[in-house]
Amino acid sequence: MDTRKRILIVCGSGVATSTVVAQRVRAILDQSGLEADLRQCAVMDAAHEAKGADLIIATTQVSADLGVPVINGIPFLIGVGAERLAAQIVAQLKQ
Amino acid sequence: MMPCVVLALGLIFRLPFGRAFRAGLTVGFGFVGIGLIINLIFGNMGPVMESLIRDTGLRLAALEVGWPAAAAVAFGTRVGALIFAVGILTNLAMVLLRLTRTLNVDIWNYWHWSLSGSLVMVVTGSLWFGLLAAVAHAVFTLKMADYTAPRIQAFFGTPGITISQGFAMANMPIIMPVVWLVDRIPGIDRISADPVAIQKRLGFLGQPAVLATGLTVIAGLVARQPAGTALRLGVAMGAVFLLLPRVVAILMEGMTPFAEAAGEFMRKRAGDRPVHIGMDCAIGVGHPTNMAAALLMVPISLLLAAILPGNRLLPFGDLAGTAYFSVMITPWTRGNLVKTMIVGIVLKATVMYMGSDWAPLFTRAADAAGFPLPEGAALVTVFGNPFAWVCVRLTQLFF
Repeated sequence: MDTRKRILIVCGSGVATSTVVAQRVRAILDQSGLEADLRQCAVMDAAHEAKGADLIIATTQVSADLGVPVINGIPFLIGVGAERLAAQIVAQLKQ
Repeated sequence: MMPCVVLALGLIFRLPFGRAFRAGLTVGFGFVGIGLIINLIFGNMGPVMESLIRDTGLRLAALEVGWPAAAAVAFGTRVGALIFAVGILTNLAMVLLRLTRTLNVDIWNYWHWSLSGSLVMVVTGSLWFGLLAAVAHAVFTLKMADYTAPRIQAFFGTPGITISQGFAMANMPIIMPVVWLVDRIPGIDRISADPVAIQKRLGFLGQPAVLATGLTVIAGLVARQPAGTALRLGVAMGAVFLLLPRVVAILMEGMTPFAEAAGEFMRKRAGDRPVHIGMDCAIGVGHPTNMAAALLMVPISLLLAAILPGNRLLPFGDLAGTAYFSVMITPWTRGNLVKTMIVGIVLKATVMYMGSDWAPLFTRAADAAGFPLPEGAALVTVFGNPFAWVCVRLTQLFF
């Protein structure tokens, strides 16, 4: 099955921390040889954009019932727990 | 100037030359983009605002441009060029001297300190006074971040983190006493409002581009423009709200390599001391109470602007930024929407008056940052940051 996974990166504004996280996620994808489509959005639009996403990485609070698994992306911003988060993302994508 | 600064800082933090160079260039592109959007705003809104003011006697002559443009102005002045070095050194010095436990890791936060500094520089004509004000704001922010850390961590469920953002922390001296007062209103705990229901009903207010188009069309028609012109203006202003964040993302992309290196550097130098990681208040934006409050603040801001006596600030750019406004209120009202709104209205009115008051200064700062306004354009401004405003007013007594 080769349908590309879609990752939605959510932050407060859709541009600030989600840009940082997107860069990290791209690096992780390259390193692990996985492919996925990335999209960034603001948390206000998350409910709408979540349709069709396979995974959400958020740097702000997101209501859990969007029907899509949500991973906390803050470790990428503070540098603590970043490797564990990367492994978590890879594991989630491989499902 | 900022592109050169980013390149230099990148090299200082040992990024490969190619990467630092590309980062600096990206930042330059970002600034060009922001300049384009600001011109787009004034090319379109300028004439409409002039007619509105003339024909309807509206005194709302200072266009509020929102945080992305304000950040671009703050980073574009001479204070802005030096703020990273100054901010990082101040924070590190304070941590090493045990004056604070907060390590501000979010480099983008520095624009708030730079705004205070830039405005004071415009008042005093002196770069040194500007830098002094920036450092003062930094010290205040870090101390306040220390103080608010326990409550923030408990409420948002984010251990080890605090919010060291200059605007949010400067609001705390207003938020905390007002919450104290509101808690004492008889019967206040018996009124309740459901944040989720409000989000469902008012969700459309959270679409800034669509909202901007609608409001501009109305403003255009009120200013007696022909319908076709009003529609065209509406689409142009909606485009501003769509494009501005994307252009700011380019700016941020350019800053990220240096920002990450600087964060690493600070963490290493801070050693084994227990620190709070200082972030932007964006981490609290998604809380349901905050999202509902953000939606409600859109019409309320416009209403306040219209009815507050002596106010000349016209909210515009902020329509996209209301989500950040009440983040610091929610932990103190424990997520109670009614109390959050009351405190929010008081705070909004206060910062609106401040922004209205310093509009001429901010316009000069924008000019100093390389964003000159077209001849005869109205003033530009941004919502007041209480610390910055106090600094400005104090220095105005002497200069």
